[in-house]
Amino acid sequence: MARVIVMDLSRHNTVMIGHDRYFVLHEGERSVLVRDHCPHRGGPLSLARRTPDGRRLSCPWHGTKVGVSAVKRSCLPMVRSGDEAVVVLPETGVPVSVIHKEILANLPPDPTHDEGAESR
Amino acid sequence: MTVQPQAAPAATRAGGTLGKRVLAFAGHPLFRGDAQVVHGRNPYRRMLVPGSLAESDFDSPPGPGEWAAHRSLAAHRLLGTFYEAETVLLPEQGLDGLYEDFDLFYGRDLKELREGSVSELERFAFGCLDEAVDVSGAATPEVLEAYFQHVVEEAAAGPSPALTAIANARDRKSAADLYLVQLALDGLTEASAMSRNLAGAYGPEQSALFKIFIDEFGYGVYDAKHTTIFAKMLRSRAMATHVHAYWNFYLAGPLATNNYYYYLSRDHAKFFRYAGAVTYAEAVFAPAFVEMIKVFRGIFGDTVDLHYCDEHAHIDEHHGRITRDQVLLALAGRHGPRVVPELLRGIAEARLVGGWFEDDTAAQIRWADDLPRHRELAGSARTGSEPPLRVALTADGPFGTRSHDGDVVLEVERGEADLVTTPTGPPERLTRGEAVLIPGGRLYGVRPATPEAACLLHAVSPA
Repeated sequence: MARVIVMDLSRHNTVMIGHDRYFVLHEGERSVLVRDHCPHRGGPLSLARRTPDGRRLSCPWHGTKVGVSAVKRSCLPMVRSGDEAVVVLPETGVPVSVIHKEILANLPPDPTHDEGAESR
Repeated sequence: MTVQPQAAPAATRAGGTLGKRVLAFAGHPLFRGDAQVVHGRNPYRRMLVPGSLAESDFDSPPGPGEWAAHRSLAAHRLLGTFYEAETVLLPEQGLDGLYEDFDLFYGRDLKELREGSVSELERFAFGCLDEAVDVSGAATPEVLEAYFQHVVEEAAAGPSPALTAIANARDRKSAADLYLVQLALDGLTEASAMSRNLAGAYGPEQSALFKIFIDEFGYGVYDAKHTTIFAKMLRSRAMATHVHAYWNFYLAGPLATNNYYYYLSRDHAKFFRYAGAVTYAEAVFAPAFVEMIKVFRGIFGDTVDLHYCDEHAHIDEHHGRITRDQVLLALAGRHGPRVVPELLRGIAEARLVGGWFEDDTAAQIRWADDLPRHRELAGSARTGSEPPLRVALTADGPFGTRSHDGDVVLEVERGEADLVTTPTGPPERLTRGEAVLIPGGRLYGVRPATPEAACLLHAVSPA
């Protein structure tokens, strides 16, 4: 069994699935719905900034660098047509909602970033 | 309609190599049109409106929000002609008198122009889909099934914008005929694109697709062939039944929808996308034809032959099941997660271009049905400072239809002219000094009602 939700990307960029949060990460013209969770200690990657090369996210909590490719590999199945995104979730019975939040990870790379901790 | 050359320097606006090739193709005598609004019984001649093509910039592909742009219509007319030249078209009355056109249409000169342009023109016309659709995440057969079920249920629940526009039109008969013409684009050459995916060896899924193909071709019985029964429907409306009689009235959305299946079928790297698209199409056809039967019966009663719609309302339920279970899900199961994103993409793209078909047809119906209001709007429209384009009309000049990227005001400068917006409805007579607002993306043609006439096209400044 699966559950389908529909997002209007002009209004929403974040999905809450129970206690887990996912956000829409832009990669060029593509959009992917990734978990808002740094693999180090669970920091909010939506508030991460990109490293100058644009290939990693610098977690705001401990500065851990997480490869964008690795983040994308964990994304939820989603089909986007224009501003509409259809997301397919496993049927877990937990409540699901869509909201709008500030997402720094979609801003251009941060030129002031320092080389802090690396992803494990 | 002929746009005077001083107003549109062709070679400079049409862009680089692609622009030059398509101008060379469209400038061929086969595609210059004639004075008739409805094309004659000659499948090789169709109006590509070379004068308006020259204004189109083939260096700038239309983006997802520019589907109604004139260059989109122009590109899809060309692509449709390219694709059909890879099929066999013979006139029902025989080739006598048309041998030369047959030779020209399939001949080396046009073939080389087609082959040298088709891939680039496809990128131009369909590149917007790459921007409009993303598929991401772990795409499993379960995800595929859930997504497919969602979009099919959505299609079954939602009203058809085009059929709603027909039901709400003042002139419902003309509106219904306009819709029939959009269906005729595929209806009279049905399953031609599909035939390209039947060759090869790909297991039971190939046989499943072939079953559908056989149905489309009436099991080899000409009277049962879907194109034959489509023609019966046209005949019951006293409409022409030869291929592309109403070429001038095909809209960009329906052209793109028809071309989309050729586009996928021509390139077998897109096979899985095709499988997704055809499964979506077959699944949504049956309820769409049920709705169409209701609307058409409401307008025409028993005078219209809806055998074609009845046939599809019935057979497409089976085709929907066969494509879902024996093609879509079977391919996903056999070939694994790697192909699922392509299957999903095909479904999403077919849904998108199908929506364009509906929205474009609905918009044309609403506009053509409300020309008095557009006469009023012309009076209050703010026209730009650019000098207008002058269009000279002569009785023996070629008739063609076109659209514009943005709103324009068409004003009759000299003589009288008929504005033509539908295939069977009465034209709108405009006398000297009268004007009408033509919304961006709306198709129209103008023919002279006096021995000579001239119109001015004023660009409208966005509000």
